[in-house]
Amino acid sequence: MSYALTAPLPTRIRVLLPVAVLVIATVLWEIAVRSTRSQGLMPMPSGIALSGFELTRSGVILEAMAGSLQRVAIGFVIGALIGIPLGLAVGTLRPLERSLRPVLDGLRSIAPIAWIPMAILWLGVRGNAALFVVSYAATFPFLVSASQAVRLVDPRLIDAARALGASRWDLLRAVLVPSTLPMLFTGARIALAFAWGSIIAAELAIGIKIAGQGRNVAGIGQLMVETLYVKRDVDALVFYMLAIGIVSLAIDAGLRHLQRRVLPWDRQ
Amino acid sequence: MTITRIMRFVEPLIGVVGVVLLWMLVARLAANATLVPPPAVVWQAFVAMLDGDLPRDILASLAHLGVGYGLGVATGLALALAAGSSRWLEAVLDPLAEFLRPISPIAWIPIAILMFGVGRLVPIYLIFYASLFPIFVSTLDGIRHVNRNLVNAAQSLGASRSTVLVHVIVPAVLPSIVAGARLSLGVAWMALVAGEIVGGDSGIGWRILWYQEFFQMDRVMAAILIVGALGLAADSVLRSLQRALSRVNPSLASGA
Repeated sequence: MSYALTAPLPTRIRVLLPVAVLVIATVLWEIAVRSTRSQGLMPMPSGIALSGFELTRSGVILEAMAGSLQRVAIGFVIGALIGIPLGLAVGTLRPLERSLRPVLDGLRSIAPIAWIPMAILWLGVRGNAALFVVSYAATFPFLVSASQAVRLVDPRLIDAARALGASRWDLLRAVLVPSTLPMLFTGARIALAFAWGSIIAAELAIGIKIAGQGRNVAGIGQLMVETLYVKRDVDALVFYMLAIGIVSLAIDAGLRHLQRRVLPWDRQ
Repeated sequence: MTITRIMRFVEPLIGVVGVVLLWMLVARLAANATLVPPPAVVWQAFVAMLDGDLPRDILASLAHLGVGYGLGVATGLALALAAGSSRWLEAVLDPLAEFLRPISPIAWIPIAILMFGVGRLVPIYLIFYASLFPIFVSTLDGIRHVNRNLVNAAQSLGASRSTVLVHVIVPAVLPSIVAGARLSLGVAWMALVAGEIVGGDSGIGWRILWYQEFFQMDRVMAAILIVGALGLAADSVLRSLQRALSRVNPSLASGA
């Protein structure tokens, strides 16, 4: 642990080394699967690339992704509509915060996916149960970041604005909104990441529930269940997994970019 | 003064009582103990479960958590320390972690089922994978931000490598480690529930679906609330550890 003592490596090595390791590992993996003749049982790089190409060309994965992303988007909006006002209220009114805290902490600790049986009972398996789970997941990051954001507004800014004769509207527009938005945005990023993980969990659980009752491929989770239990296609499964990672990376990169564009005053 | 003290005690209860009253109202309106099991029925279910499977289910879940989280945190910590001590290892491990991290543990479930079959290894693997990254990232970040001046000062006073390690670096990184462990536990708990529900054959998460098969929605509801209570309890253990740590040395509180 002499990090503070060693000199950094040249950039060339820092870029090339991981690439080299990745390439070597991929080649060894391919050789290992081929030499043990376990194609079809074990995923292998060429098979993953091939089925990825196939699934993208036929549009299967795009359709499933679109279905899942649509539900994530709706759940994200519902989560924002519930979480932000509640968070602002809890952050502003201390007595409200003290009385709601135990309930909110308790609800937040319930993994959203645990609600799936109740959600199926209340809303049915055709998408709305998953929507409930996603909305539940997205609500709490919004709630937490909104309540922290209002609490962290610098009181000196408010005093200064008041002393300069700002009206309530001016205060809201010039002080409160600009200073809470950055943290809300961070909350939104967490909410979206959490929602994306939860939709897949919900779709997997629903997919397993309705497996064998006719095809109902509505999202990437159901598609994975079908691939696992009906087609038993290992390579496609790994490809789906990588695709899920790429989508979450893309979502986060997009939101970061948006954050910089919309909130140039935020220097975090 | 006494009024405020009474209020301090009463206020946290207001929310709980309010939610229970609301729940009773909704249950009354729904008038369907399957659709919305009333609180009293759920409480009875909880008491009945306490005499039956519940202790075994909770123990099974805690065993999943203990093995998966223990392995995940130990591995993440070891990898972070390795990356922190060698720039070469760091150049390999850091991009690898950044590559794997966006892949949610949930996305691994089908592959875990394929590798291990439905059973306890699925939740354990998911918990392991989920808890790996937060502690790795947080610890490595802590190592990167160790104050160079402290290390230089200790060395110029003649401290050996191991003295610097034990007395300077470890105390400086400890808050990051505990903060990372707490983050890891949060995601590990979510991974546990998802892993047990979709690919497990024991534990409190699995039991939720088992009760659903028998349409015992009162027990489903009780199990859901137990999931929340256990998650809350696990987090408060680590939070008090964090607080105890910052009391031992207040200068450690920052960054934790």
